[in-house]
Amino acid sequence: MITAAWIALLAPAVAVLLIGVLHKAISRAQAGWIASLATLVSFAASLVAFVTLLGESPEERGRMSTIYTWLSAGDLQIGMEIFIDPLSVFMMMIISGVGFLILAYAVGYMHGDTEERRYHAYKALFVFSMLLLVMAGNLVLLLAGWGMVGLSSYLLINYWHQRREAVAAGKKAFVVNAFGDVTFMVSIFLLIQHLGVVDFPGVFAGAPAALGQSTTVSVIVALGLLGAAAAKSAQIPLHTWLPDAMEGPTPVSALIHAATMVTAGVYLIARTHVLFELAPAVLHTAAVLGGITLLVAGVIALVQTDIKRVIAYSTMSQIGYMFLAAGLGAYAAGMFHLMTHAFFKALLFLAAGVLIHALADEQDIRKMGGLASSMPWTYKAFIVGALALAGFPPLSGFFSKDLILAHSLAEGVIGPILMVIALTGAFLTAVYTFRLLFIVFKGEPSEYVREKFHKERFEGPLTMMIPVGALAVLAIVGGLIQIPGAWHAVDDWIEPVAESLQHPDTWMEVISPILAVVLAGAGTVIAWRLWGRPSNVPAKLRARHPRIAATLEHKFYFDEIYDRALSVPTQQLAVGLRRFIEAPLILGSSGELGHSVRGLGRLVARVQTGLLRSYALLIAGSLLLIAIVFLSVR
Amino acid sequence: MSGPGIVAYLALSTLLFGIGIAGVLLRRSPLIVMLALEIMLNASNLALIAFSRHWADGDGQIFALTVMVVAASEAVVGLGLIVAMSRRKLQLDVDKMTNLKG
Repeated sequence: MITAAWIALLAPAVAVLLIGVLHKAISRAQAGWIASLATLVSFAASLVAFVTLLGESPEERGRMSTIYTWLSAGDLQIGMEIFIDPLSVFMMMIISGVGFLILAYAVGYMHGDTEERRYHAYKALFVFSMLLLVMAGNLVLLLAGWGMVGLSSYLLINYWHQRREAVAAGKKAFVVNAFGDVTFMVSIFLLIQHLGVVDFPGVFAGAPAALGQSTTVSVIVALGLLGAAAAKSAQIPLHTWLPDAMEGPTPVSALIHAATMVTAGVYLIARTHVLFELAPAVLHTAAVLGGITLLVAGVIALVQTDIKRVIAYSTMSQIGYMFLAAGLGAYAAGMFHLMTHAFFKALLFLAAGVLIHALADEQDIRKMGGLASSMPWTYKAFIVGALALAGFPPLSGFFSKDLILAHSLAEGVIGPILMVIALTGAFLTAVYTFRLLFIVFKGEPSEYVREKFHKERFEGPLTMMIPVGALAVLAIVGGLIQIPGAWHAVDDWIEPVAESLQHPDTWMEVISPILAVVLAGAGTVIAWRLWGRPSNVPAKLRARHPRIAATLEHKFYFDEIYDRALSVPTQQLAVGLRRFIEAPLILGSSGELGHSVRGLGRLVARVQTGLLRSYALLIAGSLLLIAIVFLSVR
Repeated sequence: MSGPGIVAYLALSTLLFGIGIAGVLLRRSPLIVMLALEIMLNASNLALIAFSRHWADGDGQIFALTVMVVAASEAVVGLGLIVAMSRRKLQLDVDKMTNLKG
């Protein structure tokens, strides 16, 4: 099983090297197939690991495998080691499974791009980094994976490097993520100082005694981890990079910025839940952050006009649910929602990609409309994704979202408040999701669509449509692995690693889905009334409340505030340093240095008369001088 | 082992070397400069051989032979240069050749 796990980890890395070394010896499509087949190998190996773990008793499912000591400093030994337990195998299957579908999709989507090989290599690099992140056996290796997914995300966001917005978005993502990396490092340093170990079993065994319950150290450690998780998972206030990250190619948005990387924060909380439980206040902060994010992102998604940005805000909102669950200690519920979200959100992104592909790269939904008749399959896929996202039974989103709601109802005082927020979020989710669906697909074909719409034999190449279909099936049936009252497969799988802090009663498991479905239904009806048929209500609302509309369109002015408070001062500081430090001191001094050397040279050059006899005289004279000196000194 | 002592030989060698230096420094014809150089080399040869005899050691003589080889090579190169100069109708005056002025 350990061998299988190592194969799962290394297959994508081999693909990166292969694509890089073979370069032009392989065609662009072959590069794509190498990357996706390597991911398929990873998925198969993950399945082997899963089946092996399944055959063992729940208490003995954690395995550590070290191949060598990576870093060694005094008593601190950090191994190149992987930790295979139900949690990491769960993530491995999602990453490699959904990853394979999206990589195969990308072969069709990226077809014809001039730098396709680079794209596929980066994509495989991302899969490797993400697997490293979830399989790492200690915090330092986890941080390495953490940084590398940030890097590959950066590389893929500004993949179209000739577009200024893409480059700026990549930089923004990198800087915000770097903030999270730094807080992560602070936590690791504190753990090394107080525990002297970084491997997971050692940390979890030693932390309660060494850090103590709710001490300053344990709070700082947990806060550092929370900072990292919030930055990676685009939770308020570190969320501004995610909508901009939509500048990347659509499969990138699907894989990195919806299905896997952005959910790494949830994984981190579940993985290090022992450390978080030492500081319950911080854990609750995570839940509150998730609650705020799911509400704010849901509201912003109501007015966005870029199809990918709407889905991006929806992603933020859904990760808010996962944070809410993880922050309340309902780790299994969070992981369950992470899985179903990976299915239906990847589906939505890929379906949106099919649309963008067919509409000559147009992403503005105001130009779309009436696509239902011309793209029936994409329409159906989108409906499946929307229903799953809004949480209608029996699709996957229903089961996972309602598990979170039930858990929040079971948690003391803070839980019911968060549950109200989450229910509001469920309502908003339905509104913005069906707004998108209705605007894009309903009504008469718009002028732009009539003009630019082009369809090859099918709605898209088969490499694109088959993954969409597979994800649609997963989005429909994915939630059935856990049905309240019937069976709890995800709970049974995750609980031995990260036990939930509360256990909802049966009435909670019954009442929360009913409430959520009623609210989602209301949201859908409202969306139908406003956007499902010709209506002037949205315009009227906008006219009546211009300030609210402006606030929403400016996304609550987060970008503007950060620009004023951080970006502009930093740039001004840089300009000031350039003018007052670099120009006079550094540039000036190097100029001076050059000038003086040149002056000295000019002085010495006078000796070079070009007259042979003067050289001879100099030599003879110097020799004489040396002889005299030697003789007199003796 | 008779004849003048080493001092006499060294005095002659020094005199020859001085004549050579004076020639190099004062004359402007490259041909004469080369002749003066040969005188300097042979002055050093004389000193080498005098010491060789004084210490009854063959090393100095071998050195002198080497110097002669170098002198011959130098004459070949130098005379070749002078021939090339005259072929290009350049003035045979070392003071006129100042292309390497800094």
